[in-house]
Amino acid sequence: MAKMFLNELIINNAAPIVDWDLFWSSLGPMIEGGIKNTIPLTLISFACGLVIAVLTALARISTSKILAGIARVYVSAIRGTPLLVQLFIIFYGLPNLGNAFVLDPFPSACIAFSLNVGAYASEIIRASILSVPKGQWEAGYTIGMTYRQTLFRIILPQATRVSIPPLSNSFISLVKDTSLASQILVVELFRRSQEIAARTYDFLQLYLTAALLYWIICFILSIIQGRIEKRLDRYVAK
Amino acid sequence: MLISVKNLHKSFGDLDVLRGVDLEIPKGNVVAIIGPSGSGKTTFLRCLNALEMPNKGTFSFSDGFELDFARSPKKEEILKLRRKSGMVFQSYNLFPHKTALENVMEGPVIVQRKKKEEVRVKAEELLKKVGLAEKMHLYPHQLSGGQQQRVGIARALAIEPELMLFDEPTSALDPELVGEVLSVMRELAKEGQTMAVVTHELKFAEDVADHVMFIDGGVIVEQGPPEEILKSPKEARTKQFLDRVLNPS
Repeated sequence: MAKMFLNELIINNAAPIVDWDLFWSSLGPMIEGGIKNTIPLTLISFACGLVIAVLTALARISTSKILAGIARVYVSAIRGTPLLVQLFIIFYGLPNLGNAFVLDPFPSACIAFSLNVGAYASEIIRASILSVPKGQWEAGYTIGMTYRQTLFRIILPQATRVSIPPLSNSFISLVKDTSLASQILVVELFRRSQEIAARTYDFLQLYLTAALLYWIICFILSIIQGRIEKRLDRYVAK
Repeated sequence: MLISVKNLHKSFGDLDVLRGVDLEIPKGNVVAIIGPSGSGKTTFLRCLNALEMPNKGTFSFSDGFELDFARSPKKEEILKLRRKSGMVFQSYNLFPHKTALENVMEGPVIVQRKKKEEVRVKAEELLKKVGLAEKMHLYPHQLSGGQQQRVGIARALAIEPELMLFDEPTSALDPELVGEVLSVMRELAKEGQTMAVVTHELKFAEDVADHVMFIDGGVIVEQGPPEEILKSPKEARTKQFLDRVLNPS
């Protein structure tokens, strides 16, 4: 029924809006781009970004002025510049410094996205560490724990609960931001749709298909987010 | 003497909170620390395990361990000091992501690196002792204030501290829950646990303490046996304070 209805929508004798053969044949390459590049790029960048973020957050709340200063400049520089410009600097710009700085598209994108996630997520993690009451640090210290033991066993588990919703937002944003990597030749989901569109001129349909695939990925992720939050809720008063 | 404190000074910025406090706590004694709010009594207690870092002063323990805060102590010395004492907080500060039992086991397992199975047996005993045998697998938010505070006491006891520090342990509790916490503390005192207790419970101080110290303005105004300090104080400030506490309206 839907197929018939859509096929009837013909604008000025142009081709039908939905070309189902093209839809099915374009899906394969796009999903392949998603599985081979979009998803690995997202996962690797998010994992590296989180490590950078925790270290940056700790530097920012540390008593060392130098560490805190470095962290502050890093966060400010990343947040103050467009992600696309960062990608271009790493992929197209750095090679001017010499052959050692020539990187493939995928690692370039990983570096740019990790640094980006690191800066944004560090603010989330810093805020969630600070949201844990000071008494929790003290309780850890009074049973003889060191700074590190208290941080890892007492503070971070509680901060994690607080940071899951905003970090999930970052993660979902990252999935979509990876489409920018198409501009530095990473053959990910969106670049695949561009390639096919360049051949067939079905821009609207192909970009809508790409949008639909991103939407599906993000929808699945938000379901997973809900599950994680529920799991972590078990020790929180309701 | 389990611990003697000499000439303890602490200031926050320009504010001198402690201005030369001396105290000796013999092994097995209970010292009650009383005083008006802002007198420095809580700060004094928190200095005893370096939650607040004193600016000046020395601690010496019976086993020869000494700390001189004039030359800022090393991290290891601070850890050693903290492992000698257990602290019970006014606001309990239980770890909310761990059950009562896990709260109690955390210190011995993580800090003292004892075997989990042995620690579990001891932790269960401690929780039984504070009357929470039935509740040991519940999370803090599932417990009442009095129950949480008793877990707090068990958690502090689990590291087998030479000295137990109590910072107004009943002040955050509903009146009907105060008794269950105090009775656990009485029990501990009877067993010979050395304790320093900041409290507003004068009846408890009178019954349980061996020694009462009244702090005001960052100095010890008066100290001695409870019947002396609480019944016939010599200093005007002590009299005034006791009068206000005993006749609030």
